[in-house]
Amino acid sequence: MTRHRGRGIASVNYPIGMNLGGDPSQALVHSNPSGKFTVALSSIDLGQGMKSVTRQICAETLGVPVEDVYVDTADSDTGPHCMGSFASRGTHRVGNAVMAAAREARGVMMEAAAEELEVNAADLETDGRGNIHVKGAPHRSISTKDVAIAAQFKQGKTISGRGIFLVPLSDVDPETGEMSPATCYAHACLVAEVEVDDETGEVDMVRMDSAYELGRALNPRLVEQQLVGGAWMGVSHALYETPEPYYPEPVHGPRDFVEYLMPGPGDICPHDIAVLERPAPDGPFGAKGPGEMCANPVLPAVANAIFNAVGVRIDDLPITPEKVLRAIKAQGGARPQPRR
Amino acid sequence: MAKTPLQFRHNGRDVAIFVDGGTNLLVALRELIGDMTPKFGCGQGGCGTCSVLIDGELHLSCLTLAETVAGRSVETLDGLKEGPNLHPLQRAFADNFAAQCGYCTPGMLMAAKALLDRNPQPSRAEVVEAISGNICRCTGYEPIINAVLAAASGGRARA
Amino acid sequence: MPVTVKTFTSTHDAAAALSSDRSARYLGGGTLVMRALNEGDISISTVVRASDHAMTRIDATGSRITLGAGVTFARILVERDLAFLHAPARSIGGPAVRNMGTVGGNLFAPVPYGDFTVAMLALDATVSVQGGLGGREIALDEFLQSRDRQTGVLVLAISFAKPGSAEAFRYRKIARIKPKGGAVITLAAHLPVNGSRIVGARVALGSMAPTPIRARAAERALEGRSLDASTISAAAAAAVEGTSPGDNALASAWYRREIVGVHLKRLLSGQE
Repeated sequence: MTRHRGRGIASVNYPIGMNLGGDPSQALVHSNPSGKFTVALSSIDLGQGMKSVTRQICAETLGVPVEDVYVDTADSDTGPHCMGSFASRGTHRVGNAVMAAAREARGVMMEAAAEELEVNAADLETDGRGNIHVKGAPHRSISTKDVAIAAQFKQGKTISGRGIFLVPLSDVDPETGEMSPATCYAHACLVAEVEVDDETGEVDMVRMDSAYELGRALNPRLVEQQLVGGAWMGVSHALYETPEPYYPEPVHGPRDFVEYLMPGPGDICPHDIAVLERPAPDGPFGAKGPGEMCANPVLPAVANAIFNAVGVRIDDLPITPEKVLRAIKAQGGARPQPRR
Repeated sequence: MAKTPLQFRHNGRDVAIFVDGGTNLLVALRELIGDMTPKFGCGQGGCGTCSVLIDGELHLSCLTLAETVAGRSVETLDGLKEGPNLHPLQRAFADNFAAQCGYCTPGMLMAAKALLDRNPQPSRAEVVEAISGNICRCTGYEPIINAVLAAASGGRARA
Repeated sequence: MPVTVKTFTSTHDAAAALSSDRSARYLGGGTLVMRALNEGDISISTVVRASDHAMTRIDATGSRITLGAGVTFARILVERDLAFLHAPARSIGGPAVRNMGTVGGNLFAPVPYGDFTVAMLALDATVSVQGGLGGREIALDEFLQSRDRQTGVLVLAISFAKPGSAEAFRYRKIARIKPKGGAVITLAAHLPVNGSRIVGARVALGSMAPTPIRARAAERALEGRSLDASTISAAAAAAVEGTSPGDNALASAWYRREIVGVHLKRLLSGQE
C-alpha cells in the first residue's frame, strides 16, 4: 500500500478587525432629488461583496428598496476615511458606519415627510417599497421621491447622515497586561481529509467539512462564495503557494503562473459547509465577517490530516511533496496513525 | 519604424488599424481599438485572462502577433452580449456567483464559450479541462464550473 | 520595442533570413517568442514567419509519420491516426495554448515546458531542418544536445515510425497542478515487443536534465527482456542513472531523483 488516508481537524477564534487607533471607518449617506440615496465610502470592494452588503444595510436602515441605494466606493479623495479592506472588518466596521449614517439620514427624511403630511415624525413609518405613511393609516402616504423633492426645493433641507464606527479603547491592565484586542469574534471548525502517497509525498485533498459561526449572514450567497473560495486559498497556502520555494535561500522563485503553484480546477475537492448564525451584539444587524477566517483553519487541518495519514509532522508551509517525502524517509517509512 | 496596416473582424465589425512590428493582439484590442474586455494578466500565457476567439478557436491574445489575425474574425467578451441582453453564460456566471474580483471573468467566459460552441452538453471533467488554462484567485473554481454546467443545461440546473 | 516582422511564403527564404541575422527568431505559435517580446527580450529584433503549407501538414497514413513543425497540439488531438500521441498533446497547456503551441516550437521549450518533445524522443524521431546552406535530417537526440546552437535554423518537420501497437507507447507527465501544470518530471517509453521480448526499448525523460534525455540505463535493463515485475524493478532502479536534474520552483533535483524510478515503475506496470 502506498496511499494513505488521513483526517485532521482545526478550529479558529477569529477577531473581527483590529484595535489599533480604534480601527475606525466612516460613511456618508445622502439623498438625491430623485429620492435615490448614495452611500459614499473610501472602503474598497475587492470582490468580496462589500458594495452589496453595505447597500443592503443602508436600504434596510433607511426603510427604502435596495434598488434605491447606490454605493460609491474606493475614492479616498472624495470619500470619508476608512482604515481599509483587511482583517475581516468590512461588513462589521463599514456596515456599522453605514448604519449610523443611514439612521441619521432617515431621521431627516422622516422629519421632512412629517412636514409634508402635517403629522408628528414619530407617527410615521416606511413601507420598504419607497413610501412613508402614518402608522395605521397607509392611505396617508408620501413617496420618498416626493419627500426628497420637497426637502430640496421647498424645505431647504439635506436628507443626509454621517456615520462612524470606532472600537472603544481597551485599557491595558498594568499588572497582567490583559486587554481586549477585539470586541467581536467569529469562529470556525474544519475537518480535512487527505490522501498521501508514501513513495512520492504527494498529498491529494479528498474532502473538507466545515462549520463557520460568523454572526448573521447578511447575504448568504455572498457568505457561501467567500467560504468556498477562501477554503481553496487555504488549501493553496497549505500545499502549494510560495514565492520563495527554497526559503530562506531566495533562489528559483517562480517566473510565471505555471511555476507559481496554486491548485487548479482539477485539484478541488468536495467541501460541505454549515453556516451557524449567532448575531454579534455590536455588529450591523448582528453581522461579523467571514473574510480571512475562511482560509485559516484549512492549513492546520491539512497538516494534521497528513500526520494522521503517514505520521509525519510538517510545520513549514507549504507542505510540498518533497517535505513529506523527506520526513517519511527520515522516520523509515509511513506510520499511519489511528483513524479518526 | 513603419507601422503595418491591419484589418480584421472584431465582434462582427470590420476594423482597420496600424500596428508596430511585434505588437500583440491584446495591445491592439485594448489600446488601438478600445476594447478593454480582454485583460492583461501576465503576458506569458500563464493566466488566460486575455483569452479571445480567433475564427472560433480559443487563443491567448497576449501571445498572438497582431498582424496574424489579418482578415480573420476575433471575438472578445465585448461581443458576447446581444444588445441589452446578457449571454446565457454571463447570466449563469451572475446567478452562480462565479465572479468575485472579476479579473479572470473575461477569459473564463471566452474559454467557456469555446467549449459550449463545440460541445453544448459537456461533462464536469470537460468543463474543468476547458478552463484549465485560466487562473482564478477568488472563487476556488467550483462556482465557475457550476455556472458553465448551468449555462449548458439552459440555466435549468442550480449549482 | 518594435521589431521587424518578415513573412515568407517559402521556407527556404525564411531559413535564409534566419541564418543571416543573429537577432532573428522564428515565430511559430507565439508561446515562446511573443512571450520573450512581452518580457522585453532585446536580443530579438526580427521575427521571421513562413506561410508554406508544408509547415502545417500532417502525414499519418503510412508507417512513418511526419508532423510539420507548425502543427498545433489541438490538431494532433483531432487526428484519429495519432491517438497514441493524444496523451502528450493533451498534457500541454490549457486549450488556448494547445490551439497555438506547435510541435516545432516545443523542441525549443525550456524546462518546465517541452513535454511533447519527451514523447518524440522516446519515438526516436528525426528532425528536418533547413539551414542557410540547405536542408538536412538530424536525430532528435543529437538536435537536443546542440539545441542552443539551433536557433539559426528553421525546423520544417519531425518524423518517426508509428508504434506497432497502442500499448507499446506510454507517456506520463507528473505535475503538481491538475489538469494543467508544469512538469515535475515527464516520462515516455516505447517498448516494441518481438514475441515476448522487448526489442529497441526507448525511455525518455523530461526535467531530468536541461533538455529531454534518453534514460539509457533503464533502456538497457528493458532490452531483450519481457516486461515482468523484475524487469520493471531493474529499469526503475536504473532510471536515475545519467540524469542531471536541476532545482526549480516546481521541485528540487533531490526530489526528481527520488521519484523518477517510482514513476517509471508505475508507468511500466500500468499503475495509476
